[in-house]
Amino acid sequence: MLDDIVLQCGQILTVILLSPLLHGFIVTMEERVQRGQGPSIFQPYRDLWKLFHKTLLIPESASWVFFVAPVMAFTAMLIVPMLIPILTNFPLPLSDMGDILGGGLILTLGSFFIFLAGLDTGQPFGGLGSSRAVMLGILAEPTLILVFVGITFLDHSMLPFVANHLLAQHPVAYWSPAHIFLIFAFFILLTVETDRLPIHSNIPYEIYMIDEARILEYSGPLLALLKWASWMKQFILYTIFLNVFFFPWGLSTTGSFGSVLLALLIILGKYGAIGLIMVAVDTMQSRLRFYRYQEPLALSFLFAVLAIVADQL
Amino acid sequence: MLIFHLDPLATSLFSLLAILALVLSFVMLASHWLKNHIYAFAAESWTIAIISASIGYYGHYPELYIIAALTAIFRGTMLPYLVLRLIKRLNIQREFTPLLKPSSSMILGAVLVIFSYEVSRQLGATLHLTDNIAVLALTCMFSLKLIGFLMMILRSEAISHILGLLVIENGIFLGSQILVPGMPALLELVIIFDLLTIVMAFGMLVRLLQVHAGTTSSRDLQKLVG
Repeated sequence: MLDDIVLQCGQILTVILLSPLLHGFIVTMEERVQRGQGPSIFQPYRDLWKLFHKTLLIPESASWVFFVAPVMAFTAMLIVPMLIPILTNFPLPLSDMGDILGGGLILTLGSFFIFLAGLDTGQPFGGLGSSRAVMLGILAEPTLILVFVGITFLDHSMLPFVANHLLAQHPVAYWSPAHIFLIFAFFILLTVETDRLPIHSNIPYEIYMIDEARILEYSGPLLALLKWASWMKQFILYTIFLNVFFFPWGLSTTGSFGSVLLALLIILGKYGAIGLIMVAVDTMQSRLRFYRYQEPLALSFLFAVLAIVADQL
Repeated sequence: MLIFHLDPLATSLFSLLAILALVLSFVMLASHWLKNHIYAFAAESWTIAIISASIGYYGHYPELYIIAALTAIFRGTMLPYLVLRLIKRLNIQREFTPLLKPSSSMILGAVLVIFSYEVSRQLGATLHLTDNIAVLALTCMFSLKLIGFLMMILRSEAISHILGLLVIENGIFLGSQILVPGMPALLELVIIFDLLTIVMAFGMLVRLLQVHAGTTSSRDLQKLVG
C-alpha cells in the first residue's frame, strides 16, 4: 500500500516520462508500415535533450506572451493528470479539484496560450496556423463538451473515476448504444486533437501546417517545452479515451506497489495498441481539403447527439 | 405493444441494432456516391433482419425467423442488386445535385432525430409505455422516415428518390418488428413483395424517362408535355 501522495506524483511522472515514448513508438511504426527503417523509439528523448542544450533565439517583435505560452502549456499538461485515472481507479489527493469539464478546460487553456504565441510575433505563418487551429477548435470543442455531457448522463456524475467504475463493472452499461456512440465520437475527436489524418498532416509544407505553423518561431528550450507539452496532451487524451471510455480495466485497484507496476505494464500494452490503430488511420487515409474539415467533425457531433438521445431511453 | 419482458442485455442489443440502422441511414445521407447508398441500404436491411431474428429468439415467435430470412434475401440482397443494376444501366455514379453539403445535411438529420425523440417521448408518456425500448423503436422509426423524406427533398435524381422511399419503408418495418412483433406473417410477406413490385416499376419508369426525356433528375423535368 503506497501513500496516496506518492501515487499522485507517480501519475504525473508517468505522463511526463512515457509521453515521448508513445510519440516515438507511433513515428517508428508509421515508418515501418511504409517499409522504412524509422528512427529509434527513444528518439524523442534525444530530441528533447538536444533542444534543452541549444541557445534560445528570440524574435525582435516578441512580447512577454512569447515566454509565458510554453510554460503555461506545459503546466496545464501537468495539472490534468491529477484529475484523471492513469494508474489507479480511485481518486487520489487533489483529484477532486476539477471534474471532467474542468480537465477539458485546462487542456484547452494550454492550447489557447499556444494560439496567442502564434499571433504574438506577428509573423505570417504563426497567424495562419493560429487561425486554422481556432477554426478547428470551434468545430471540435462543442462536440467534446457534448461527449462529456453524454458520459455524465450515463454515470450521473461529473467525475471520470465514477465512469471508469461503472463501465468496468457493468457490461450492460459498457455495451449500451449510448456508450458505444460516445466511443466513436471521442475517437474522431482523438484523431483531430492529436494531429492525425484526415485533418492534420505531418508533412511540413506550409499549406498543410496547422500546429507546426504556430510554433515555427520557437527554438531551444522553449521549443522543447512546447513539443513535450503536445506529446503530453496526446498521452492525456489517450488516457481519457482508454481509462474513461474504451478500456476501463487494468488499473490498480488497491494501490499496492505490485498492482501499480502491473498497471504500468498494461499501460504500455494498451497505449501501444491505440498507437497502432492511429498508425493505421494515418496510413490508410488521405488528407481532406480545408473546406471538408467539418465532415468528420459533423460525424462526431452526430454520434454524440445520438449517444445522448440513446441515453435518455 | 411489446408484450414480452426483456432482460437488460437483450434491451442493450435491441437498442444497439436499432440505432445501428439509424446510423446507416446517416451514411446514405452523407455520402454522394450512389453505390455507398445501396451498400448502406443493404446493411440496414440485414440489421433489421437480425433484429427480427433476435426478437423471434427472445420473444419465442418462430415465424419471425422466416420473416428474418425473407428480409435478408429480398431487402438485403435482391433489392440492392436490382437498384445496382439500374445504376449500371443508367451510368450514374454519383448524385451531383444535392441542395446541401454532406455535413449540413448530417446536422439537419441530427436535428430530425432529436425532434422525433421528443415526439416519441410525448407519445410514450401518453400511451404509458413503460418499456424504454418501445420509445427507442418509435424514435428510430420516425427518424428513419424523416431522413428518408429529407433524402428525397434534398436530391433530385430518380434513383435517390427510390432509395429515400426504401429508407422510409425500412423505418416502418423496423418499428413494426419491435413494437408489434406478433403481426400476422401474411402482412409482412405483402410488404416485402409490395416493395419488390415498386422497385421494378420504378426501374422501368426511370429507364423510360432516360430514353424519352434524356434525364432522370426531377429538377429538369418541370415542363408538362401533352
